[in-house]
Amino acid sequence: MAKLTTFSIGGVHPDDSKIARGCAIEVLPLPSTVYISMAQHLGAPAKPVVAVGDKVKTGTVIAEPGGFISAFVHSSVSGTVKSIGPRKDIAGNPVTHVEITVEGDEWEESIDRSDTLVTAIPEDRAAILDRIKACGVVGLGGATFPTHVKLNPAPGSKAECLILNGAECEPYLTSDYRIMLERSREIVVGAAIMQAVLGGCRCVIGIEENKPEAIAAMDAAVLSLGYPGIEVLPLKKKYPQGGEKQLIDAVMHRQVGSGALPISVGAVVQNVATALAVYEAVQKNKPLITNTLTVTGDCLPVERQHNYLFRIGMPLSFIAEQAGGVPEAAAKLVSGGPMMGKAIANLDATTVKGSSSILYLSEAATKRGKESYCIRCGRCADACPMGLEPFLLRRLYVAGDLEGLEKEAVQDCIECGCCLYSCPAYIPLLDQIRMAKGQVMGVIRARAAAAKAAAEAAKAAKQ
Amino acid sequence: MDKHLVSPNPHIHAAVSTESLMRDVIIALLPAIIVSVLFYGWGELLILAVSALSCVLFEWAIAKFLFKDTALFCCPAALVTGLLLAMNLPVSTPWWIVVLGALFAIGVVKMSFGGIGQNVFNPAIAARVFLLVSFPQQMTHWTAPAGFIHSVDAFSGATLLGQVPVLGALEADKLVSLQTLLYNIGGSAGEISALALLVGWAYLLIRRVIKPWITLSIFATVAVVAGIFHLADPTLYTGPLFNLLTGGVILGACFMATDYVTSPMSTWGGVIYGVGIGFLLMMIRYFGSYPEGVSFAILLMNMTVPLLNRWFHGKKYGRA
Ligand code: SF4
Ligand code: SF4
Repeated sequence: MAKLTTFSIGGVHPDDSKIARGCAIEVLPLPSTVYISMAQHLGAPAKPVVAVGDKVKTGTVIAEPGGFISAFVHSSVSGTVKSIGPRKDIAGNPVTHVEITVEGDEWEESIDRSDTLVTAIPEDRAAILDRIKACGVVGLGGATFPTHVKLNPAPGSKAECLILNGAECEPYLTSDYRIMLERSREIVVGAAIMQAVLGGCRCVIGIEENKPEAIAAMDAAVLSLGYPGIEVLPLKKKYPQGGEKQLIDAVMHRQVGSGALPISVGAVVQNVATALAVYEAVQKNKPLITNTLTVTGDCLPVERQHNYLFRIGMPLSFIAEQAGGVPEAAAKLVSGGPMMGKAIANLDATTVKGSSSILYLSEAATKRGKESYCIRCGRCADACPMGLEPFLLRRLYVAGDLEGLEKEAVQDCIECGCCLYSCPAYIPLLDQIRMAKGQVMGVIRARAAAAKAAAEAAKAAKQ
Repeated sequence: MDKHLVSPNPHIHAAVSTESLMRDVIIALLPAIIVSVLFYGWGELLILAVSALSCVLFEWAIAKFLFKDTALFCCPAALVTGLLLAMNLPVSTPWWIVVLGALFAIGVVKMSFGGIGQNVFNPAIAARVFLLVSFPQQMTHWTAPAGFIHSVDAFSGATLLGQVPVLGALEADKLVSLQTLLYNIGGSAGEISALALLVGWAYLLIRRVIKPWITLSIFATVAVVAGIFHLADPTLYTGPLFNLLTGGVILGACFMATDYVTSPMSTWGGVIYGVGIGFLLMMIRYFGSYPEGVSFAILLMNMTVPLLNRWFHGKKYGRA
């Protein structure tokens, strides 16, 4: 077997714990009520376009983009809008939600609900982009960046390679794995659509070696569909392979400059789940109202683990109930993977487009040791996939040295958690580096704003 | 819901802690310790025990009563210091000198800089040098010990290195053979078995406790420098094998120069640090007044670590 490729700097090897890998995707029943968040994508929150009392169908637009970087939101059920107002998200912060009482399951007629695979790619690039936008598709790999914006790079920049992220490098999560097994052909069509939008660049589907069945299934799909320029690339298992910058390094052996976009090195990265959403949007006219999520954890017996197809807006607590309730031994509930996911403070919060899991971690799995003193072992620096020196960043943060922090590139931190994961002294490196990054980003933004204002003032003075 | 923990990512942690790393170092020292006790007997065991216990006790007491911060006390780390100090002492060292050494290592070298992770100098080595300067007689002379295994070529007097001025380089070189790799009676516990030390070093590498670059660059530099001088004049200068296998080179290169706190963080910093140690130790051996240069070489290079850390950094992603 040829030597597998991976990203070149840092990384860690947590046990992959893909306990739920054997659980086929199941469709969840409908709850009595769904709560659909207006802030489930990166950028400006969406603006509701329905009013209390309105009847909606499954797939009806209920909110429109609130800015250039924003997205449409659709109803995932049919029923009546019961309320529009603030409701707590998983962190407990109030966010505007549209509450819909479920009545039956009547879909918009324009949506093709059949299983027939549509392989012909539409000709009109602008029409495809419009469809993706109208269907509210956002990146499902974690950042939830609106997909139509990402697929439409600024004039002058050219995509050389579309990278499909099937790495699923976070331990425990298996939803991407399951869709690669069960919906491989649709994903490949989705990839071909994005290829076409990007002007016919090549496409590489990167999958970690610990998912040989997914590699085989995707390979077979690529072969049988016969689109030109798509290949499956097995990657060596290493976290955070699915990080955008790391994946570009692994696949193209190029590194994106600090503060630059992937397109600057000719790359566009999309998650496999996003490719599936693109397929459904463009070929089936189905908006992004469903996604796949894993209910898993080290303290959940395997027979209670599930991969579910859920309707966006279902409360997490509803899904947890369907899977038999929160296990006794759970010490921490996480939405997302154990390395980058967010702790769930409020299980009544609702699922959003980017929800990928409910992860139950036992005390033993999640307990942080007592913080002691840095022994300068260098493990954090060895682990950092951005090549930063976390021990140093932390020291600069404690000293309040913003200039030093910027020089040491704290702003490049991708918050992957490798540093804290590796530190034998249990120093809360990322907790502090995140704060430091926030402060430095503030300085950088203020400087950029001041420079812009100065330039404008100079221009005005000339006239 | 309140019973569930809410805290930022990452939510899992590698199975590693300061304690587990130091435990691994202790395990890695065991082969050499066992060999030394076999050859040197109860006396060696006593030195090891006194040194280890004093270090633990001093660190605990200083952390608790002076700093009032028990997080500064890391029992396995103090044990490592204690064992390394003992392995650097002749078996005939009186117990009170050992205690004094432990007090110096922990109290002066480690805790006065702020405790774990803060010290500039390697505590065990600094203490050894302190004892060497304060008690030159007891520290360089030793008597043939009563070990559990009796070796025919055990002799009283100076160590192999100490033979160089007596016998001359040519004759001294001849004393070193393949057998020296297995065991070498003469000198402190840490000099007895190169093989046992290397087995321990291999364990540390396999467990990824340390990286090999510092050690390898010391070995390579010693070999190259000794090779050049030896070729130039074999009657004056001992050869590479002699210099690698005698004195505390292996113990120093594998276990002391690789101490996290007092060695550079980056790979290239580590290589320069290793080359510096190798070069200095050979200069001291060939031209200095002490037969053994490892301790001084490591202490001198300890001082360059802050600079090496400032100059050498790993490569950052996407930056030149
Ligand atoms: S969280 Fe930031 S500093 Fe820590 S390892 Fe990841 S990129 Fe590096
Ligand atoms: S991993 Fe922890 S103990 Fe090691 S250098 Fe980094 S901060 Fe210090």
